[in-house]
Amino acid sequence: MNEFLFDVVVIGGGPAGMAAAIEARKNGASVALVERNPRLGGILLQCIHSGFGLKCFKQELTGPEYAQRFINQLDETDIQVFLSTMVLQITKDKKVVCMNEKGISVLNAKAVVLAMGCRERTRGEIKIPGDRCAGVLTAGLAQHYINIDNYCPGHKFVILGSGDIGLIMARRLSLEGMTVQGVYELMPYPNGLTRNIKNCLEDFGIPLHLSTTVTRVIGKNGRVAAVEVTKVDEKLQPVEGTSEIVPCDTLLLSVGLVPENELSSGAGVALSPRTHGAVVNDSLQTSVPGIFACGNVLHVHDLADNVTAEAQHAGACAAVFAKGGSREDGAAIAVNCEDPIGYTVPSTICSREKASVLFRVRRPVENARMVVTSEGNVLLQGKLRKYIPSIMEELVLPSAILQKAGSEITLQIESV
Amino acid sequence: MQQYDIILIGGGIMGCSIARELSKYKLKIAVCEAAADVASGTTKANGGLIHAGDDPIPGTLKAFLNSKGCLMYPILSEKLGFRFHKRGSMVVGFTEDDLAVLKTLLERGRLNGAPDLELISGDRIFELEPETNRKAKYALYTPHTGIVDPFEVAIAFCENAVANGVQFHLSSPVTAIRKTDGGFAVTIPKGELNGKYIINCAGVHADDVARLAGADEFTIQARHGDLLVMDKNCGVKDVMTLYPIPKPDTKGVVLMSTVSGNILVGSTAVMMEKDDIASYREGIDELIAGANKLIERLDIRKVIRTFAGNRAVVVGNNNDFYIRPSQKVAGLFHVAGIQSPGIACAPAVAAYVVQMLKGCGVPMEEKKNFIDTRKAPVDFSSLSTEEQDELIHRNSAYGRIVCRCECVTEGEIIDAMHRNPQPTTVDAIKRRTRAGMGRCQSGFCQQKVLSIMAKELGCSPTEIELGAKGSQIVYSKLKEGC
Repeated sequence: MNEFLFDVVVIGGGPAGMAAAIEARKNGASVALVERNPRLGGILLQCIHSGFGLKCFKQELTGPEYAQRFINQLDETDIQVFLSTMVLQITKDKKVVCMNEKGISVLNAKAVVLAMGCRERTRGEIKIPGDRCAGVLTAGLAQHYINIDNYCPGHKFVILGSGDIGLIMARRLSLEGMTVQGVYELMPYPNGLTRNIKNCLEDFGIPLHLSTTVTRVIGKNGRVAAVEVTKVDEKLQPVEGTSEIVPCDTLLLSVGLVPENELSSGAGVALSPRTHGAVVNDSLQTSVPGIFACGNVLHVHDLADNVTAEAQHAGACAAVFAKGGSREDGAAIAVNCEDPIGYTVPSTICSREKASVLFRVRRPVENARMVVTSEGNVLLQGKLRKYIPSIMEELVLPSAILQKAGSEITLQIESV
Repeated sequence: MQQYDIILIGGGIMGCSIARELSKYKLKIAVCEAAADVASGTTKANGGLIHAGDDPIPGTLKAFLNSKGCLMYPILSEKLGFRFHKRGSMVVGFTEDDLAVLKTLLERGRLNGAPDLELISGDRIFELEPETNRKAKYALYTPHTGIVDPFEVAIAFCENAVANGVQFHLSSPVTAIRKTDGGFAVTIPKGELNGKYIINCAGVHADDVARLAGADEFTIQARHGDLLVMDKNCGVKDVMTLYPIPKPDTKGVVLMSTVSGNILVGSTAVMMEKDDIASYREGIDELIAGANKLIERLDIRKVIRTFAGNRAVVVGNNNDFYIRPSQKVAGLFHVAGIQSPGIACAPAVAAYVVQMLKGCGVPMEEKKNFIDTRKAPVDFSSLSTEEQDELIHRNSAYGRIVCRCECVTEGEIIDAMHRNPQPTTVDAIKRRTRAGMGRCQSGFCQQKVLSIMAKELGCSPTEIELGAKGSQIVYSKLKEGC
C-alpha cells in the first residue's frame, strides 16, 4: 500500500473540488485532489447547455467549458490529481483510504475538503407504485445516456418533478426529436429556476402540471407503456377521481437531489437533518476539526457559480487550518432560522469580520422581509420582496452586526 | 432433439435445488426456465428468511420439511459459498391474546421439530434486540432462524448443478408437452426436448404446465406481497428478525436485516392475478405501518426500493405444498404450491423429491465424481484493505469501481459474465454482483454496467435488456457515426 502526505486532500473533482483545491494551493498548502471518474469536471461534463459562469467569469458558458476553465487552472499548479480513484474511507484522524488500478493508497491529510456532490432521488425513495419495467430513470442518467453515451433512452417521455435537471432535460429531449408529454410537479409551485421554466418548457410548448404526481407506472412487454397521474390536495395526498392515464415509454424523474455524505458519516462528521449535508461553521468546517465541506455535498445549490464561490472559501480555510492557523476569532454564534426558512449554512459563526449565510425558503412568500434578531434585539431588517424555494439566498452579515450579536442570531422572514 | 432423463420446468429456488440434488445421480438433466435468468419469479421477490419451523401447522408437508431445511442451510452455505446469517428471530406480542398465539406457536414448533424455542417476556426481549418496540411484552425467541439472499442461493444451486452436468435452458418458456413412447417431448422456442420424466416446479404457473401435460388436477392462485428495502445507513442495523403475530395465511409484515446489511420489510398478502407483480400504494402503506409497529424509530424516508412478488397457492390444499406424482399422467411430478417457507424448505424439498422419485421406481444410481462445492465469486467490498490491495495488483480490473454505492468493481462484473450460466440481463448482473442495488438504484452505474456487458457479450448496449423480454434500456444510437 502506498502512503502519501498532503496539507489538504480534496475529495471530488467537480466544480466544488476543483475550486477548493486551487484555492487551498493559492494559500500555500500542498494539495491532492481525488476524483473517481477518469476526467475532472463531475456532472458539469454532461451539462452541455449554457448558463454557467455568469457570476464567475461574466460570460455564459456551457458546463464542459466552465469545467475546462478550472481544469486549465489546475494544470498550471503542482496539485496532485488522482483520477479514476475511489475514496473508500475517511478516518477521524484524516487518513483518506482510496483505491485505483494501482491498488490501495492512504493519503494522510492535515485537512480534508469534502466535495463529493449529490445524487438524484430515485423511484424507490419516493415509492411510486406500479410495474418495475424498463423505462424509469433519473433525469441525470438520461442526460448521461444522451449527452455522453450517444444513446436514445426513450421516445415519448413524461417528466416527474420540475427540478432544474428535469426542465433542462425536457428541452434537450425536444431538441433531439423526442416527445415530452408534460412535466408533473407535486408542489403547487415549480421547483426549478424561473429562467428554466421559460426557456425549457414555455419556449417548447411543454405543459407544466402543478399539484399533480405520478401514482402508478403501467408496463407492457417489459417497458413503460403509460403512467397514471393524479392531482394532489394541500396535504400532497392524491385526490380520488382525478387520475388520468398518460401514454409514454419513459418516465424521467427529477424529484430532488441528496448530498452524498456516506464518507462524511464514516469520518464522524455530524449531519444536518435539514440539508442532509454536514453541520458547518462559517469557515465551512464540520464537527470534525480539519474536515471542511462545500458544494452540493454540503447543501444543494442551484448554480455552479455559487458552488465555486463556496468551495474557494472552504479551500482557503482548509489551507489555513493545515498551516496551523484559524479564522475563528470569537465564540460561536449559533445561527437559527424560523419557518418558512428551511435551513441556513453555516449553522454557527465564529468570525467577527464578515459572514455569509446561505438559506432557502420552504415555500414561496410574497411581500416579505428578512429580519435578523439576536436574543430579542432586532439587528437587521431587509426590504420587502418575494422569496421562492428554487432560489438559494445569501445574507451577508457585516462586522458591525456580528459584534452586536449575542450567543445566537435568528433569521426570520416576515410576511407583511 | 436433445434426450434427457429428467426435465425440470421452472428455474426458481425449487428447480435449482432439485436439479443440484439430482445431479448427484447418473442422470441427464435439463431445466427449462421461461425468463432470461434463474430465480426470476417468486424466488427473487421474498425476504430470504430461513424460518425455523414454528409456524407451519403440524402434520402438513410444510411442517415436515421446514425445520429440516433450516438445519441444512449452515452446511450448504459453506459448501456452495453463499451467505447465510443465523440471526435468530422473535415473534413479538403486545397483549394477552398475543401471548396465547405465541403459546400455540411454541407448541407447534416443538411438534414440528424446531429446536431451542423459548417463550420470553419483559426485559429479555430488549436484551436480545434493543430496537424492538418498547411496548412489546412477550416474544417467541428462535435462535436458529437464519437469513439468506434467495437469488444468491438459487444461483449457487444452479451453478453447482451446471458444474455437475445439468443443462439450463434459459429464455425457454415451455409451450407444449407431448406424451411420447419413452416419456415426454417438451417444446421450447429453440425446439423440442425429450425427457423420460418431468418435474413441474413452475411456481405460480405450475397448474398451466400441468395442463399442458394433460394433468388438469389442481389450480393455483397467486398471493401477492409487497416488500421494501431500506438504505444501509437508515440508522437501524443488524437487527434480529422480528415477526408480528401471524395470521392464518401469512406470517405478516416481517422486519429483517438482509445478509447485505439492508433492512427489508415484507410482505403483505393479497390474492391477485398471477402475473401482477406491480407494487401497490396500499401495500407499501401497510408495510410501513407494520415495520413501525416492530421498530418504532425506523425512518421510513430511507426506503430505497419497493418491489413485489407472488406466492403460489394451490386451491383447496390448506396452504400446504403440493409435492406428489401426478394422478393422471405417469412420469410427471409436481412440486407446486411453493409459498413461504419455500426458501427455508428448498434443500429438504430436493431430498424429499429424490425419495419420491426412487419410490416411484425412477432408476437412480449415485455418481462417484459429484462436485459438492462451489467457489463463491469475489466480493470486493467484503475483503480487508490488504486483500483488496493484493487483488488489484493481481488484476487491475478490481481497481475500477463501477457501482459506488455497493462498492462493486469492474473485475466482479467481468467475473460474473464468465460464470456458467452466463448472465445476459442487467438485473441478472445486479443479482450476482449487487451493482445497482444501492441507494442511487443504478443512477450512476447502469451505463457502465451496460457497456461492460456489451463488450463481454459482443453486442450493442441497445440489445441488452433490464430483465424481462422487451426491456431494453436504450433504444438506438442518437447519431450515427459518432
